[in-house]
Amino acid sequence: MPLAPAVVDELKRIVGRDAVIVAPNDLRIFERDGSIEGAIPDAVVLASSTAEVAAVMKVAAKHRVPVVPRGAGTGLSGGAVTIRGGIALQVTRMRHILEIDPVAQTALVEPGVVNQELSLAAAQHGLFYAPDPSSQKACTLGGNAAENSGGPHCLYYGVTTNHVLGMEVVLADGSVRWVSGDAPDRVGLDLCGVLVGSEGTLCAITKIKVRLLRIPPSVITLLAAFPTIETASQAVSAVIGHGMVPSAMEMMDRVTVGAVEGHYHAGYPTDAGAVLLVEVDGTPESTRELTAAISKILADNQGYAMREAQTSAERDLLWAGRKGAIGALGRIRPNYYLHDGVVPRSRLPQVLSAVGEIGEHYKLPVANVFHAGDGNLHPNILFDMRDQGVLHQVESAGEEMLRAVVEFGGTLSGEHGIGLEKSAYMPWIFSPDDLDAMHRLKDVFDADGILNPGKIFPDPSRKSVHLAGRTGLAIEAKWW
Amino acid sequence: MVVSTPVTEKPASAEELARKLRDAAGEKLSVVPVGGGRASGMGCPVERCDVIMQTTRLDRVIEHEQADMVVSVEAGITLEALQSHLGKAGQFLPLDPYNSPGHTIGGLLASGWTGPLRLRYGSPRDFLIGIRVALPDGKLASAGGRVVKNVSGYDLMKLHYGALGSLGVVVAASFKVFPRPLHDVTLSDGGGWDAADRAAAMPVGPSALELLSDGHVLARYLGTRDAVDRVVSELGWKKVDNSVWDEHSRRAPTTWARIAAPRTKLRDVVSSLPDGAEWWASPGTGIAHWAVATDAQSVRDMRAKVEAAGGTLVMLAAPDDFMREAGAWGTAPATIDIMRRIKKAFDPDGILNPGRFVV
Repeated sequence: MPLAPAVVDELKRIVGRDAVIVAPNDLRIFERDGSIEGAIPDAVVLASSTAEVAAVMKVAAKHRVPVVPRGAGTGLSGGAVTIRGGIALQVTRMRHILEIDPVAQTALVEPGVVNQELSLAAAQHGLFYAPDPSSQKACTLGGNAAENSGGPHCLYYGVTTNHVLGMEVVLADGSVRWVSGDAPDRVGLDLCGVLVGSEGTLCAITKIKVRLLRIPPSVITLLAAFPTIETASQAVSAVIGHGMVPSAMEMMDRVTVGAVEGHYHAGYPTDAGAVLLVEVDGTPESTRELTAAISKILADNQGYAMREAQTSAERDLLWAGRKGAIGALGRIRPNYYLHDGVVPRSRLPQVLSAVGEIGEHYKLPVANVFHAGDGNLHPNILFDMRDQGVLHQVESAGEEMLRAVVEFGGTLSGEHGIGLEKSAYMPWIFSPDDLDAMHRLKDVFDADGILNPGKIFPDPSRKSVHLAGRTGLAIEAKWW
Repeated sequence: MVVSTPVTEKPASAEELARKLRDAAGEKLSVVPVGGGRASGMGCPVERCDVIMQTTRLDRVIEHEQADMVVSVEAGITLEALQSHLGKAGQFLPLDPYNSPGHTIGGLLASGWTGPLRLRYGSPRDFLIGIRVALPDGKLASAGGRVVKNVSGYDLMKLHYGALGSLGVVVAASFKVFPRPLHDVTLSDGGGWDAADRAAAMPVGPSALELLSDGHVLARYLGTRDAVDRVVSELGWKKVDNSVWDEHSRRAPTTWARIAAPRTKLRDVVSSLPDGAEWWASPGTGIAHWAVATDAQSVRDMRAKVEAAGGTLVMLAAPDDFMREAGAWGTAPATIDIMRRIKKAFDPDGILNPGRFVV
């Protein structure tokens, strides 16, 4: 439903005529994020400052218009999709790095700063920002904080929440507040910790204070091939079981390696059942010692064709293959549906074989590329949107894969968020009482439900879970 | 106020605890949750205490998947019992709080107490991956899970961590655990802040770095042998037995305070403590502990300085009168209104730890 002209005028008075988009054709650009489902917003507002965000929020609150904060739109769970219409509150004009403090090793940034830009700017001080989603060339830090994003190097360094020290946020009533800050152990409840990862449903983020880390003097990247995913998974467990936590341990299956090698020519062995990319960093002494120890463990677990990146160019190429893997899959099918689930690490081989069976059942190719050290799998279901009825098949296959993840003791999302994509599945892992506790928090922050409505919590009116294959018995709560 | 002897409840299961909590709430009885009692001095003296809810019978390891390096425990297990269980698998929880031994896991989560290893591993805020909490309405609410990476639903672990049992009683928790380090060496020096700064600036950073008011510095290095050897030779400090950490973790003055400041301001803040004050500091994390031997006014004066530097000063234990005069928490946070609304949403009748926490 289009916004009333009076509301549009109010918005224009706040941000200027050019910063409010209501023309249907222009709005289409904001229909989607990186996920499958889309919805066209009623208006897009391009905010340039905290004051503008706050004023827009006040207007929205007064008229009960939904507001969906939006960064680069690279999210993979529909978090930025305006499923109930309303305003897409675009923050990409707020893209200033306000401060880098090399002594305190912190940075203060606006939400529209691109993830990689921060690390590039911090590099002149010998510092970097650790969370590195594969979309880091495009995704914004505001989006990262809202989604609690991860990335390959989170195995050692932790995810976004471990690096956010404080935030300036705009609440649903338009008030501007700071949560947490430079000092540890603040008095009272940890609101910052709760707001990171709240997917735009509790606040809009307008400034973020993050921790920066010293760039390690030595980095070694190691590539190893394995005959099967099982052997590669065992190798991952063996490395960690020996008391070593590399900064990253990434795995790609045969399908992915074929696509990546065809595109990047990074020297990945295409005959392998799985390829493992391991990175260690630290001092030259520690990386040498770790690399030697890890190489031996990989070899003992049937690793072969092992290769160390000898130069930084070689290292970049190995990583380009990993981080660009999803794009390279376009060589196989034009569309993909990238899923995200986490299982206890030792369950990886079982869940991947279930994923493979599900793909075969639906006659859809599946490529696996994932954070093996964390047990965080990313099956990519490959398809061609032009095939009739394929989308339903893809969704059913994805749902079954997720179901398998949960049945193996895992969870719905490791780093992409619940958003729109997985809200219907929340009862698989949370009881009504669990969800009730989360709802209480939502009500405290946004009693009228104007902030990113229709996300995280299951919406019975929207869609039914179309579990096609497996029986949909509720998974009993489970792990206590 | 009618003073009556509180009833002590020792539930044997999470469900029983939740039921007892609901019963108490139904009669508007106030409840003080207690684990090992090591942090019982923290916060303002409670306004009322009708029921003491002991968690110590909830002391099971629920599940420890060695290969996954994840452990789920009931909240009443002591840290030592958990460490000894994990130790059999060559693993550990990197938590070494002061006033040890005897902390329970639930108590550590509620109080947010940490120790020297926080420098390398962070606090439980970073490695707590799942939580189960009994709420005053008798519900048992879980969040997180038992996987090491998880963004499913709100991060309620953060909500309850450090909330001093003001929103619910933690009954179980899951953690990411860590492999015991390949090499573990402790060095000592007498060079005060400058020595500590020097250690912190080395390419191989310490995993724990503690500075005592007498100028002694303790630095713990965990990692590969070659890297640790390099630091040992470059620093030139003397090696000491790792048992110094056990001694250090036993520190618990009768009256003491925790100072938390932006890391770069800790040195200035600590130097403004009263002359001759006994303290120990973790320069890498911005935290210091002060054994208060002066009066409550000196605490208030000191707190003003810490707060001006952007930090906080929280009393960890003191006689009741001292605590009332000094105040446990200091200036209320600017977001106290939101915190109060959260408190209301979880504990509408205010039966949990009344008056003890900031909400």
